[in-house]
Amino acid sequence: MSAVLETRGLWVERGRRSVLRGVDLALRPGEGLALVGPNAAGKSTLVRALAGLLPPARGEVLLEGRSLASWPRSGLARRVALVAAEDEAPDRIAVEDRVALGRYPHRGALAPLTAEDRTAVARALRQTEIEHLARRPLGTLSAGERQLASLARGLAQEPAVLLLDEPATHLDVRHQLHLFRVLDDVRHSGVAVLAVIHDLPRAATWAPRMALLDDGRIAAAGSPTEVLESEAAGQAFGVAIRGVPVGDGRERLWRFEERA
Amino acid sequence: MSERDRRLLAFAALAVALPLALLAALSLGSVPLPAGGVVRSALARLGLGGPTPLPEMGEVILWSVRLPRVLIAALVGGGLAVVGAALQSLFRNPLADAGLLGVGPGAALGAVLAVNLGWAQQRFLAMPLAACGGALLALLLIYAIAHAGGRPTLSGLLLTGLAVGALAAAGTSVLLVAVEEFRVRTVLFWLAGGLEGRGYEHLALAAGFVLPGAVALLLLARPLDVLSLGEEEAAALSLPVHGVRILVFGLCALVAGPVTAVAGAVPFVGLVAPHALRALVGPLGRHLLPASFLAGAVLVVVADLAARSFGQYVELPLGSVTAFVGAPYFLLALRGQEGRG
Repeated sequence: MSAVLETRGLWVERGRRSVLRGVDLALRPGEGLALVGPNAAGKSTLVRALAGLLPPARGEVLLEGRSLASWPRSGLARRVALVAAEDEAPDRIAVEDRVALGRYPHRGALAPLTAEDRTAVARALRQTEIEHLARRPLGTLSAGERQLASLARGLAQEPAVLLLDEPATHLDVRHQLHLFRVLDDVRHSGVAVLAVIHDLPRAATWAPRMALLDDGRIAAAGSPTEVLESEAAGQAFGVAIRGVPVGDGRERLWRFEERA
Repeated sequence: MSERDRRLLAFAALAVALPLALLAALSLGSVPLPAGGVVRSALARLGLGGPTPLPEMGEVILWSVRLPRVLIAALVGGGLAVVGAALQSLFRNPLADAGLLGVGPGAALGAVLAVNLGWAQQRFLAMPLAACGGALLALLLIYAIAHAGGRPTLSGLLLTGLAVGALAAAGTSVLLVAVEEFRVRTVLFWLAGGLEGRGYEHLALAAGFVLPGAVALLLLARPLDVLSLGEEEAAALSLPVHGVRILVFGLCALVAGPVTAVAGAVPFVGLVAPHALRALVGPLGRHLLPASFLAGAVLVVVADLAARSFGQYVELPLGSVTAFVGAPYFLLALRGQEGRG
């Protein structure tokens, strides 16, 4: 199947520094991709460039085969949703109202909430399993619930591609499992999901595919096992990484050791 | 009580309070007019009911003196409150306010400059337009300085506003001293506001700017909601962040400039009304902006009534009255916000 979102030789500058230096990456519909890499590798920059928030200095980002630059902003936001790690929404806004703002690319400034909008909001609340919180102000939620509300806003956009930057950072283990289960459901409905994930074992457990970003380039890509056991991964993180097969041998327990 | 009931109750209370405040402000004063007489006089003007029960003197006071002044007070309060609500969303800070952000002092400087350069004498609209210019300049300056190091903190924003406001106020004072017919009354007006002697031409001016400006801000309610989610999320939702901000600044200046030209500095209205209402009607612009307009109108109509009821011969400056109420409120709200971190 052809890629829904892809980069070709993508360079992105922030200030005077080239943060991305020739990234080639493709996302197919229904695919789950974990983007990993050491601090300052350019992961957040790549996610923002994929969402069209940072312009390429060289190369391009293609959405459905067309350069992002040629997409109207609202058309882009109807296909690509970005969920950031930090939710900056006001504390007093109700969960449902916050999620409904995800319909902005579909409605614009003045159109009222249509039946279609209501359905999308209700579906997003159901998918993230926070319907019971719909009328609660964000400020009264736990960090995990708040992150799910953020994700629901992204789902209300009804995107073809869902981008997440460190979605599980502030979550306890129960909320992490919940979140990644929701992401699997989303993926199985045909949406391409790319998540920056700091926790390597968590990333390996969730994602069918993994890409390693190091110093602005894709240093390795493939199955989590291929990527984490590659020489490039050891180099990038500066540690020794070893996968110990457990159970029927298809799963691995990951061990990390400082290199001498 | 459900959130919806609370909101409906708040709107119902405001819808009752505004006509009551207007009626009280029309009938009370140095020459008291009976409220029933005011109502019947109004009905008589509309061709309903019998002739007016008020004496000729009462008719003159009601229709030529009090009505324009009371309506101006409502427009001033409503306009400042809508501007405050919009700026609070835009700066993502529930304690932002036109006065604290130097908009009032900026507008005053623009207006005084127009008087000093003689523009105001040549063109009727020169002073309010210069006030708009001053307000816009102050906003853009504060925005640029406060955002220079990323997202501004509350204290950074308030301190920048304070500095820009002080600078503008200093400029205003210098210009006023430079005027030959320098009068304490004039200085007082620009520093502390007031509606003494305001008539229909001022009412037309205030209405001509405040009403279209407030309606335009109301139409931007949803973009303001999206903007309150943060710059990045707003941009990812296809909002033209920069363009919306500039547009909102322009509209805020369009409202706050002429308001300052007509009423002088009326501080804290733009802070208190939306801040207090956010808890009642929620943070969404389509509820908060109209509720703020009504509440601001009530506040200033009552404050102006208090200002002129103070004594038989002396009026309190309107700005002092709103500051007496607003400043303690601001301090309490500030404590609450700092406490939450």
